[in-house]
Order: sequence, then structure tokens, then C-alpha cells
Amino acid sequence: MSETPEGGTPLADEYPVYLPDPVVDAAMRMIVELSAQLWVERERRMVTEQLLESRGLLSREDIESFKADPTQVAAIKAERARFLEDVFKELKRIPVGPTHSKSG
Amino acid sequence: MSKVIDSLPSLARRSDAAYLDFVEGFREFILGKGADFEDRLNQALVDEAARRGQDWQDVEHIREFVQQQPLGCLRDRLARTQQEMKWHALVRSFDEQRAKLVGELEHWASRGPGDLLLDPEFVPPSYVNVHFHLQPGGYFKDELSGFLYHWGTKVFFRGDNDADQLHARLTRFVPTPADGRVLRILDMACSVGQSTTAFRRRFPEAEVWGVDYSAPMLKVAHRRAAMLGDEVTFKQALIEHTGFADEYFDLTFAFIVFHELPLRVIEETVREAARVTRKGGVFAVYDFARTADKSPFQRYHRWFDARHNGEPYSQDFCDCDFDGLLRCYGFRVDATPLGQRAGGSGYMQNWFAIRE
Ligand SMILES: C[S@@+](CC[C@H](N)C(=O)[O-])C[C@H]1O[C@@H](n2cnc3c(N)ncnc32)[C@H](O)[C@@H]1O
Repeated sequence: MSETPEGGTPLADEYPVYLPDPVVDAAMRMIVELSAQLWVERERRMVTEQLLESRGLLSREDIESFKADPTQVAAIKAERARFLEDVFKELKRIPVGPTHSKSG
Repeated sequence: MSKVIDSLPSLARRSDAAYLDFVEGFREFILGKGADFEDRLNQALVDEAARRGQDWQDVEHIREFVQQQPLGCLRDRLARTQQEMKWHALVRSFDEQRAKLVGELEHWASRGPGDLLLDPEFVPPSYVNVHFHLQPGGYFKDELSGFLYHWGTKVFFRGDNDADQLHARLTRFVPTPADGRVLRILDMACSVGQSTTAFRRRFPEAEVWGVDYSAPMLKVAHRRAAMLGDEVTFKQALIEHTGFADEYFDLTFAFIVFHELPLRVIEETVREAARVTRKGGVFAVYDFARTADKSPFQRYHRWFDARHNGEPYSQDFCDCDFDGLLRCYGFRVDATPLGQRAGGSGYMQNWFAIRE
């Protein structure tokens, strides 16, 4: 963190690395992020399916045969970019260099 | 008075709420029995001390040992990650509705009940330039800092404070002065004002003030209190220089702020509390417990929290003689520990001090 407090314990960098190998460190973060993304999807699907079912609105077949129009395709692409950024932003944070700088 | 109103704004999307729900559960899992990091690492520390034939002295040695353990490194990684994920999700969700939320704050700024007294000349001192608990922008740099903080603590308290139950409980435990007179109450570093309104509910006739230096916090505090119908006043000022007259308050309160102050300001704040609290009045403090006599892992965690969770001053606070400081400025400290728990294993302590 670049801020300068008045005394006290020195703060860690903005993106500290905790595991001996920075790539494994990033992999750990991505696993947690993926788990979050997976949960977000599962929660939404549960809600959606429960709603659709209770209203008798949709069959599984409708989902399988769905064809997105161009606007919908664009929306899905934007969502995909957001998803990729969430999970793989860690890659940008892997420091360059062969050695591991301890988190301290 | 007890209307059920949710003053927390909704998140931009359902998926934001689900994401935070994950973080809340994950946090509980890694800090608690789920991953069981704490007990296992603590046992390793205890075993190592036995092997060396000497108790752990310096936290630096504890740190060295924990960070040699792959499990220790992993635990640190995950502890940091869950905190970063929380803020990442919250900032993005509030960014998406920024204009609307800023408008909300403006809308309530001039409405009552209660007053919001901001100081346009206020210049924050340099020691507050910290992203406490990694909140982006800290307590005041984002105009939505107050909403971010309120949501952040909702996750921190794992859903146990959604109706401000914690604040209601902690303020209820505060003893009244021996003569029973409680006409004016000061909530130091009130943030979003949950203790401030809780005091007003406990003492409906009292004049209750919340003081904080952060305008974004105070705007959220005022909006929340006005929505709830609680008539309190929020004022922008430093708690070490509140600007109130000598002995103005019967009851002065500070909940988890001292560990976020440098030692110099800790002392100035105790002096200020002694100045504004009347003779026989009560100064009630809840804050981090001393860690020197805690388990080796808890000592490690305090250090980790200081360095890796944006709490640079907390270690110094936990090591200082706060009782001695209170006495030095004219308080009598009643040693009645409540053994409070609020989001961690015995991490909080209370000081109920009487102004002599
Ligand atoms: C952890 S919060 C306190 C929680 C709050 N007392 C409650 O009841 O929920 C810390 C608050 O202290 C405020 N603060 C920190 N240092 C301060 C100071 N010197 N003067 C005034 N407010 C301060 C911050 O703006 C922030 O709102």
C-alpha cells in the first residue's frame, strides 16, 4: 500500500505474494475466484429454475435450443469479459523475475 | 421508533449479492473450523515451543515459523484474498449505481429528523491516509465510502449484525453514571451511526451526538438515522479535538476506533474524552483485546491483520497500557470484562471508565 501512516506496523504491498511460488499463489487466488463465480451461477440457476417451474413457463428443451440474437450475443460477450477479468486478473499480478519476494 | 427499514442500498445485481454471500461463507470457512487453520497452526506453534524448550517471545519469531509452513502461507493467501474479493465486488457494484447513490445522500442531507453538520474547511490529517481493512479509498476518499463500509461490515459480521443487533447489545451493556443522569451522549468515531442511534433508542430523551472526520461516513449515518426516525446529530470533527465544551457529556463512547489511531492520537483522544466527560460520567470503550497474553497464533494473527489487512496502528494499541492511560487522564477503570465476541475468538475487550 503506498499510503504513509504515522508510525505503526509497515503495511504490505498492494499485491503481496504469500506462497513460495508466485504462480501457485496466483493459481490459489484463481481457484477461490472460480469458486465464487461458480456459486454465483449456481445460485442464479436455482432461483431461475424455481421461478420458471413454479410458473410452468419453461422446459429444459427451450434452453438447449435457444439461439441468441445479435444484441443478446453482445451482452453475453460483455459478461464473458467481466468473468475473465474476475478470474484471471491474477495473471497480471504475477511479478516478473525468477525469485519469490516474501510477503514479509 | 422501531420501524423495520433497511438503510443499506441494494447492490446493482443479484449476482453481486450472491458473490458476497460466497465471500461471507468462505471467510467463515477459512477463519473457523471449516479449514481449521487456526487450531492446527497454533498446535504446531505450541509443539515447536515445546521442542525448543522455550515459550514464544517475539512475534517476529512466531511469524518466521508460521511463514515456513505451507499451511501458514496458504492461510495468509486465502485470508487476504477473501478481503480483496469483498471490496472488489462492492466497489464494482456501487460504481454501477454511483450517480443514483450520490443523489440519495444529497437528498437526505437536508432532511430530518436529526442534523448533519459538515465542516467544508476540514482537512484530514495524514495518519488517516490508510486503506483500513483494505477498503479502497479508506474511510473518506470515495464519496460512497460510507455505503462501502456499511456493506463491508455486513459481510464481516457474517450476517449477525444485519439489524444492528451487535450495536444494540454493546450500547445496552454500557453502565449509566451512578447518579443516573444521562442527558448528553457522545459517540466518538461513529462511522455510519449504528451505535449513535442505538443510544438514542436506549435514552430517548438524551441529546446524542455522533462525531467522525469522514464526510461520506456521516452522510450515510445521517441518511440512515433520518430513515429510521432517530433524532441524533452528526458532526464532522476529529475525536481528539471534538470542539465541545468541557464536561458536556454524561456518557462518552468509542467502539473499535482506538486500534486505528497512532499512539500519539490514542493519548490525545483519551485526554479529549476526559475533558468532555463530566465528573462521574462514563467513558465506555470497546476495542481489540491485548494480545501479549493470547495464544501464539492469535499473536500472529494480530501482526498479520496489522500488516496485511491495513491495520497499521493496531499492534501498537494492543501492546499499549490502555488502562494506565485512562487512569493517567483521570478515569477510574472498572475491570468488568464482558468477554464479548463479535466476529472472532475473543478479540474484543471493554473498558468502562468513570471520570473522577
Ligand atoms: C471501525 S470504524 C468505527 C465503528 C463505529 N464506532 C461503529 O459504531 O460502528 C472507524 C471510524 O473512525 C473514524 N475515525 C478514525 N479516526 C478518527 C479520528 N481521529 N477522528 C474522527 N473519526 C475518526 C473513521 O472515519 C471511521 O468511520
